[in-house]
Amino acid sequence: MKPVIMIDLNSGNLLSLENALSREHQPLSRIQQPDAYDFTGDEILVLPGQGRFGFIADRMDALGWRDFLSKWLINGGHLVGICVGMQVLFEGSAEDPDTRGLGFFAGRCERLNHPKTPMVGWAKLDSYKLNMKDQYAYFVNSYGVPDCENSTAKVTYGDTFCAAVQKNRVYGFQFHPEKSGRFGRELLQHVCQ
Amino acid sequence: MSASKHLSDLTARIIPCLDVAAGRVVKGTNFKQLIDMGDPVELALKYEQQGADELVFLDIKASVDHQPSALTMVQNVAMNLSIPFAVGGGIKTMDDVHRFFNAGADKVTLNTMAVTEPDLINQISRQYGSQSIVVAIDVNREDGGELSVYTHGGSQRTTLDYHHWVREVVDRGAGEILLTAMHKDGTGTGFDCGLLNELGADYPIQVIASGGANGPEDFLQAIQAGADAVLAAGIFHRNEYTVKDIKDFLIQHQIPMRTTP
Repeated sequence: MKPVIMIDLNSGNLLSLENALSREHQPLSRIQQPDAYDFTGDEILVLPGQGRFGFIADRMDALGWRDFLSKWLINGGHLVGICVGMQVLFEGSAEDPDTRGLGFFAGRCERLNHPKTPMVGWAKLDSYKLNMKDQYAYFVNSYGVPDCENSTAKVTYGDTFCAAVQKNRVYGFQFHPEKSGRFGRELLQHVCQ
Repeated sequence: MSASKHLSDLTARIIPCLDVAAGRVVKGTNFKQLIDMGDPVELALKYEQQGADELVFLDIKASVDHQPSALTMVQNVAMNLSIPFAVGGGIKTMDDVHRFFNAGADKVTLNTMAVTEPDLINQISRQYGSQSIVVAIDVNREDGGELSVYTHGGSQRTTLDYHHWVREVVDRGAGEILLTAMHKDGTGTGFDCGLLNELGADYPIQVIASGGANGPEDFLQAIQAGADAVLAAGIFHRNEYTVKDIKDFLIQHQIPMRTTP
């Protein structure tokens, strides 16, 4: 099985993600900087993100990930972005308008159009992709991408936004699969193989 | 009834609360008569399987006890649970907060410290995001009808103005409030729906209602009054109802609920 590499940007604990991803026979490691690992291009990168868009983007710059990830994405590498880790794959965010994202997906994050933010809790997914149909996912976010041609699932909180996106081997989840019960764990393991 | 005009796919959450002392789940009547209710991980998994949307662990002896037992428990829970959980009790400094998050907690809840050192709310929110902090507000309707905020597990009355406090915690960066109506707690007469209604659908953060759940009807009323989530302890621990029983009842009454296969 391909090795799974969690990108540790120091943005909160990775324990749940690690637990959700760990399974027999699949190497799993977390690294802080790209030069701390001898990449062959065959790895699966997981980019988690808690906190602000700008903070995550700054950490990517500080730890040398921006250029590495840009190349990784251009070369068709396998990557899974979660929450703000999905958002930084887009062009930018209203949360920190001066910060650039990686721009792999076209579009920007906007503030959720609902009086109660953050959105906290479970919402049903309506998508036939990745076995997500009628499954409940756990969301914790104040921003979301209203629309994207690569969207694979959408939910509504105030307005509709992208719950999941996919282009080739790059998957993004606005919700937290590692906190979404058995469905979430199976989903994570599915996209990490 | 305060139905929001804003569309939302969110389902109301049902949150069992587990009182913990020295690494065991206890029935918290008072400190002298703690009844052992079992292993936190086993109980947590039981509730997850019943369809709990989230869990809250309150270390009721944290101030007397020391924290290592709580940290070990948080680690064990995080290793095994695949739904979110919050931890509260005995959090006094940012160092305590770091330790709980590093051990795998998704959120911390503050009660006494939120009142005595409110800047802690701002600090947690700044560093971990507002979604990581739940402020627990214990409110009591006094004999004269006025609302008072209490700390120290409901034993100390503060001079805080309740209506001002529910706004201040939002401004300081709380992501949710856990509202316990002490005058309803343990009475088995339902939640204080008047208080929930008063906060309204446009209150800027989610409201977890707590205190007074006696049966499924109380959950229904709390959600209809505007609660985004409902927390309860005894009703689940005493095996009077499972989480699934409550959810089935709510679904029958057209409240969208997360269901698990």
